[in-house]
Amino acid sequence: MKRQLIITSERIDEPALLLKRRMSDGMGAVVCFLGVVRGTEEDRTISALEYEAFLRMAEHQFNLLFDEMEKRWPIESVRLVHRIGTVQVNEPSLWVEVIAPHRGEAFAASQWLIDEMKRVVPIWKKPRL
Amino acid sequence: MEITIHFYSYFKDLTGCEQTIMTLPPGGTISDLLHQMIRRFPELGPMQNSTLTAVGVEYQGRGYVLQEGDEVSLFPPVQGG
Repeated sequence: MKRQLIITSERIDEPALLLKRRMSDGMGAVVCFLGVVRGTEEDRTISALEYEAFLRMAEHQFNLLFDEMEKRWPIESVRLVHRIGTVQVNEPSLWVEVIAPHRGEAFAASQWLIDEMKRVVPIWKKPRL
Repeated sequence: MEITIHFYSYFKDLTGCEQTIMTLPPGGTISDLLHQMIRRFPELGPMQNSTLTAVGVEYQGRGYVLQEGDEVSLFPPVQGG
């Protein structure tokens, strides 16, 4: 399984990421997910979220999740970009792409990856009013 | 033995520091460390049940026996995405 992980303070450049998509002839499903900063947090209006990561551990935990994905589903490629630093409302903080032979495994793997990320990857956010 | 502790997220605000060093007797566990930590930083007390603990880059539970030079990280539940 090809994997790419980017944890960055730069804006997520979707067109550039799409241009770099590579998939073999046997692949029939691409699931792409974009997590976007909402304008409210616990009923308060916010202007941005400040993301902080324990970077070395975050990379390690993401790689453990990718290892587990590879065991569970026939995924050809996973790419994940997570922002750190200030992310304004309406800007994406997370971009995930999973490529698999069929939609079932692509949806299941991407849903699982994002759920597990929210459980184990040491990244936190603080609202900016 | 000396253990380095790193704080993340709002634990840094509660303790007023990003890291500290604590001394534990040989055979001390993460649970022992947390008890000592809460005596020094009582603000962490209310969060003790939800506090996540890692040694290096791996999660470890309360019974983990620490070694000299271990780097322990303490942080609240994660919130990525």
